[in-house]
Amino acid sequence: MAAGSSSSSGSGGPGDACRHHAQLGVCESRAKYREGRRPRAVKVYTINLESRYLLIQGVPALGVMKELVEQFALYGAIEEYHALDEYPAEQFTEVYLIKFQKLQCARVAKKKMDERSFFGSLLHVCYAPEFETVQETREKLQDRRKYIAKATNQRDCFVLKKAEGPKKTISKNSEGGCPWSTSGSHATSNWGPSCFTTSHGVSHNTGHPSGNRHQSLFTLPQDDNGCAETSGYFGQNTSLTGSVHPGGCTPPTPLMQQRTVPIDNGVERFMPRTTHLQERKRKREEGNKFSLIGTSADNTEVIIGPQLPEIPKVDMDDDSLNTSATLIRSKLKEVADSVSRTSVEKPESSSAKPLVKQRRRI
Amino acid sequence: MELGRLEYLQALVTEFQATDSSEAKEQVLANLANFAYDPKNYEYLRQLQVLDLFLDMLTEESETLVEFAMGGLCNLCLDRANKDYILEANGVEPIINCLSSSNEETVMSAVTTLMYLTTPQSRQQTTALPVVECMLRFSLSASRRLSNLATVFLEDYCTPRQVEEARNLSKHTAVGIPLPKD
Repeated sequence: MAAGSSSSSGSGGPGDACRHHAQLGVCESRAKYREGRRPRAVKVYTINLESRYLLIQGVPALGVMKELVEQFALYGAIEEYHALDEYPAEQFTEVYLIKFQKLQCARVAKKKMDERSFFGSLLHVCYAPEFETVQETREKLQDRRKYIAKATNQRDCFVLKKAEGPKKTISKNSEGGCPWSTSGSHATSNWGPSCFTTSHGVSHNTGHPSGNRHQSLFTLPQDDNGCAETSGYFGQNTSLTGSVHPGGCTPPTPLMQQRTVPIDNGVERFMPRTTHLQERKRKREEGNKFSLIGTSADNTEVIIGPQLPEIPKVDMDDDSLNTSATLIRSKLKEVADSVSRTSVEKPESSSAKPLVKQRRRI
Repeated sequence: MELGRLEYLQALVTEFQATDSSEAKEQVLANLANFAYDPKNYEYLRQLQVLDLFLDMLTEESETLVEFAMGGLCNLCLDRANKDYILEANGVEPIINCLSSSNEETVMSAVTTLMYLTTPQSRQQTTALPVVECMLRFSLSASRRLSNLATVFLEDYCTPRQVEEARNLSKHTAVGIPLPKD
């Protein structure tokens, strides 16, 4: 059978290579009716193996962190990310840790990005629950409890005393939102590359253990619904796509059913959104270039400095959507302004980070 | 339309029972355990008595079969009907035995399952003294996943008195359940 080609006897502390991160060999001996669309190893997924933390191995050491994070941000709001310098990596590759706001987003991202080619190298993406805190583990288990109670229309009879007590900080995170809901929800275009470019300014240290190079907190306000369109579809399908599942995991008819129902508004919104964001991003980058040139030529920020391109005002056909869009725009502007201001004050600071990165190039 | 789902699961159960190949057995069991993650399948899995199948496999020789069966139980035990079924079938005992497995995944699934199976009625069983003692040791494990899980167990499912009692006990006895490898 596809036994684990286990490496190291390393323990499970963060930073150590974990056995469950070693890629299992593909199972070659499956009966026809159990064969999936993609070759997979034999593995059982439980809530213990899943996590909002994803470990990304096989990232070429080309200083492409920004591109990597942008790719992953397509699947949901990212709470933090950084390189794991001490993590054992293949030659010329790096290992990154990305923490999503929601488990469902991490799930989709893993599914989509695992074994994807990225700058000429195959990514290996896996859950990294060993980076969770006790509280995060607790919340994960509680979320699963809530989801099952909801899905099976039961109220859980065992009420935890402490689980509710020390929860002060988890707030709405575990409540509404995408993790388990299957509704398509409204498209949330408030996060994404365009925001990413400005997020350097708001960098915010959350004190991650193990002193890795810590990057900015990549998270967007008012995005309570991070996963947007994809969750609608995958929410229904996740458990059916676990590693051992052959494509036939769902019998043909239900599969068709699931496909047709949630996808209609999902896909429709997906396409224009990405193109839209890319366009914005391109414009913003042009704008950034301008502001940089501007500051080096002349120290008066008023003239060229903060002149970022106007974000096209889009009418979203809905008052509340428009209100949130305006809020987001003003927030973006605020952030963008603070970026250009800091770059005026000390122009080196903004270029310091990329420089460090460049040294990593070989 | 949902008939297809039942038939498919039925085919898996049939293959599991009919095959002599241990490899096929493992694959099918893993399949079933993964299906047990989705509440949509619970009705069918009960109908096909897959819960019994999982419980039976807990006492198998093969560590892999035990791991997959334990994972399956962990996946479906939150559902009220499934929970009641497992409790009535005296499932807690073999699950507690899984705490001494040398396979970390098996242990993790067993800990989570015990948490999820805890009800006012069952808590005497699920948080029996040896279990609490075991969790105390797990909470010191080098594996962060395991220690996190055991900590949640101790903090949320046990009373401080239970923990204290277990702590005192473990001071006096040197023997204990060994930690899983890796």
